[in-house]
Amino acid sequence: MNDATRRGFLKGAAALGAGAGLLRINPDFFISPAAAQAGKTLVFLSAENITGNWDPTAHTTLSQGNIQGFTMGYLTRTPMRVEKPDEVIYELATSLKLLEPTKLEIKLRPGVKFHDGKDFKAEDVKATFEYGSRPDRPAQWYPGPTETLTITTPDDYTVIVDTAKGGYPAHLFMFLAAYLPIMSATDIAGGPKGPLSQRLNGTGPFKFVEQRGNDTVMAANPNYFLGAPKIASISFNFVGDSTTRMLSLMNGQASIVERLEPEQVATLAGNSKIAINKVVSVENKYLWFRCSKPPFDNPLVRQAACHAIDREQILEVLGDAGYPSSNFVSPVKFAYLDLPNYPAYDPKKCQELLAKAGFPGGKGLPPLEYLTSTGFYPKTKEYGEVITAMLQEQGFPVTLSVLEIAAWNERLYDRPGGGPGHMVDCGWSTGSPEPDLVLRTHFHSSSKRITGLVDPDVDATLDKERSAASLDERKKILQSETMPLLADKVPALSLFTSVMIHAMDKSLTGMFIYPDGSMDGSKGVFA
Amino acid sequence: MFILSFLVRRLLQGALIIFLVTLLIFTLLRVVPGDPVRLMAGGMAPEALIEQIAKQMGLRDPILVQFGRYMAGVVQGDLGQSFVRPASGAATGGSGFSDASRSDRAEVLTLIADALPMTLQLAALAIAFALAFSFLVGVPGGLAPNRWPDRLAFYVSSIFVSLPNFWLGIVLALLFSVKLGWLPAIGYKGFAYTILPAIVLAIELAPVLIRNLTGSLASVMQSPFIAVARVRGLGRQRIVYGHALRNASVPLLNLLGIQISGLLGGVLIVEFIFDYPGLGLLTVNAVMQRDFPLIQGIAIVSSAIFVLINIGVDLIATLIDPRLEY
Repeated sequence: MNDATRRGFLKGAAALGAGAGLLRINPDFFISPAAAQAGKTLVFLSAENITGNWDPTAHTTLSQGNIQGFTMGYLTRTPMRVEKPDEVIYELATSLKLLEPTKLEIKLRPGVKFHDGKDFKAEDVKATFEYGSRPDRPAQWYPGPTETLTITTPDDYTVIVDTAKGGYPAHLFMFLAAYLPIMSATDIAGGPKGPLSQRLNGTGPFKFVEQRGNDTVMAANPNYFLGAPKIASISFNFVGDSTTRMLSLMNGQASIVERLEPEQVATLAGNSKIAINKVVSVENKYLWFRCSKPPFDNPLVRQAACHAIDREQILEVLGDAGYPSSNFVSPVKFAYLDLPNYPAYDPKKCQELLAKAGFPGGKGLPPLEYLTSTGFYPKTKEYGEVITAMLQEQGFPVTLSVLEIAAWNERLYDRPGGGPGHMVDCGWSTGSPEPDLVLRTHFHSSSKRITGLVDPDVDATLDKERSAASLDERKKILQSETMPLLADKVPALSLFTSVMIHAMDKSLTGMFIYPDGSMDGSKGVFA
Repeated sequence: MFILSFLVRRLLQGALIIFLVTLLIFTLLRVVPGDPVRLMAGGMAPEALIEQIAKQMGLRDPILVQFGRYMAGVVQGDLGQSFVRPASGAATGGSGFSDASRSDRAEVLTLIADALPMTLQLAALAIAFALAFSFLVGVPGGLAPNRWPDRLAFYVSSIFVSLPNFWLGIVLALLFSVKLGWLPAIGYKGFAYTILPAIVLAIELAPVLIRNLTGSLASVMQSPFIAVARVRGLGRQRIVYGHALRNASVPLLNLLGIQISGLLGGVLIVEFIFDYPGLGLLTVNAVMQRDFPLIQGIAIVSSAIFVLINIGVDLIATLIDPRLEY
């Protein structure tokens, strides 16, 4: 009993006190099961950041387009599946009718409201079309500038689009109807620096709530005209690293992740809690040539380079992320066909063309730089190395520059005298069956985004197909004249069509994913 | 009086270091390839607009003129505005060149002020974990040189030093978050999100601390004053914790100062992997987006932190061992 000391007593009392305190601490503060993070909020992890300007006409950024897919309303939707590429689902419009080749009548759905409470009417469609066609709008999705359009609204739910002044057919608006988010006329009246740039205000199933750091917060729109969504809210986050995105899905923190690498698909395929969604996308990946400077200002050199590339090998590198196609647009776009004259791998022909161009065996060609990116598109570095090796094998003195996204983006587009480098890797994705969103955007001299191509023959055929009186006639011109001519001139080589791979929590059902990666979450539900 | 002159001297030295770091970063950012205006305005922006924005922002002036203008703002506490981030703080990119949100660009100081506490929380927890583990393994090792605790300390630190943090982060997230479901791993919605990244950083910090503690404790235990302490009849616990560890902690403290300074390198990777919204993630995104003002601001704040930590470490070391003079 004499062993008891004051020090021993104090030690024991302190230990007891600490023990009692420990029992009172809620350990959830320190350790909370990851599973407890899952709720009714759909957490989407995006591979791409947003622009910081919410005006839908101010950007061509896919991730922001995805956010618009949740919040904005569209006249129609086009699911664009390979087996049924022409399917149209009416949304804000109830019918689209070509009254004349240059006159389109759009009947609108009554009883729809914008998120701010304003009634959706014909004035909103008119304002959207006129605003989006302005030459100063960066996205430039519209077929002609505002002054080429005459838009009338005989009543609150009818819009007549007259393109006679522009000399192009009104049917161009039929495909675009599925792609152009309809904005409120009141917001548009505020101009590019008004409310449009500050927040999204649409008629879609989810309302834009706020931007919280990298988290775009959306909440279900209880007044959505097709029925209130079951999912209470959406948290749309930019997470740059693909492994981080995958881990987040695996531990239940994320509901959907996008842009999976092929290896990740294999890893997740064996996971019983995760579903994989693969869609042949609207995006083709291209090897763009700088056509405004030597040596690729010579079509023979471009053709030679195309015949040096074995696209089957590239598809092998890509695995699940690539789908074979032989055209400049995706198979889910209007007028797609496998072009008979699309350049195939043929080293002998490559050498013949090089000799004809004055560079036998590649001798005399200047050093060529091939720019590609890493971190966004799957396997760009890997297949870039394969393409570089193939071109070198035929005598092209190519070096590959692999750049992180910002540096690559900075060098991507054409500049006076030709853009940086000689060849650039880039995909182009537009959520509409409209082929001109690729063809005219890139190959007409009025736009020439990356290639810098100025070719009167190409301009003429693009103008001709655009001016066709009917969709059938246009399809015929595209397939028999425009696309074959492009396959001869090859201002770019479309390497393959991307497969959009999403992985999602298996308990989440009812989500419809469009081929541009945007999705309809109005029917989504957590089991 | 000593402390005052010490502080004045070291703070002046620190200000010079920060100035030189700022000048270096400022110059380097402007000579590397890549035009930030093209990123701000978007790739599709016409050349005339690029030049117009660049001139408006003074980005075509000589570097020294730009630097002078920048420093004039810095001394008034103005680190400028981010080139690309809006006031909401979102990481941005894209191709719009209408520049409508220009007036909404985020203040660099605000972005750093939002991210810094997150990184400090992570760093503090990582240091706490690292110290706890280093003491658990290092003290027995130092008290038993050439015996199994010493060898255990050696093996543990050798293994830890060989683990790359990006690999360890993924493995720990897989184990504790995906398989066991004990801890959340990605993003930040509460304190629990700090634990896994802190463990990864702690494992990166611990090996050097363990080796240092083991070595210095073993050395101190051979000192004459320890033998004298035994003769004085002091118990082993009192000798170890009251005398030996106190003496062994001076080199540990100096080392900790360097380690904390070096922590930023680890924080960059760990925060990126765990999508932890601290200074590391902010830095990675700023570099990827060529956000010059943000990179400069982070460099100034980071160098100021390093300087202050080193002043603090030296000050504490002199308090522990008054024979030291800095």
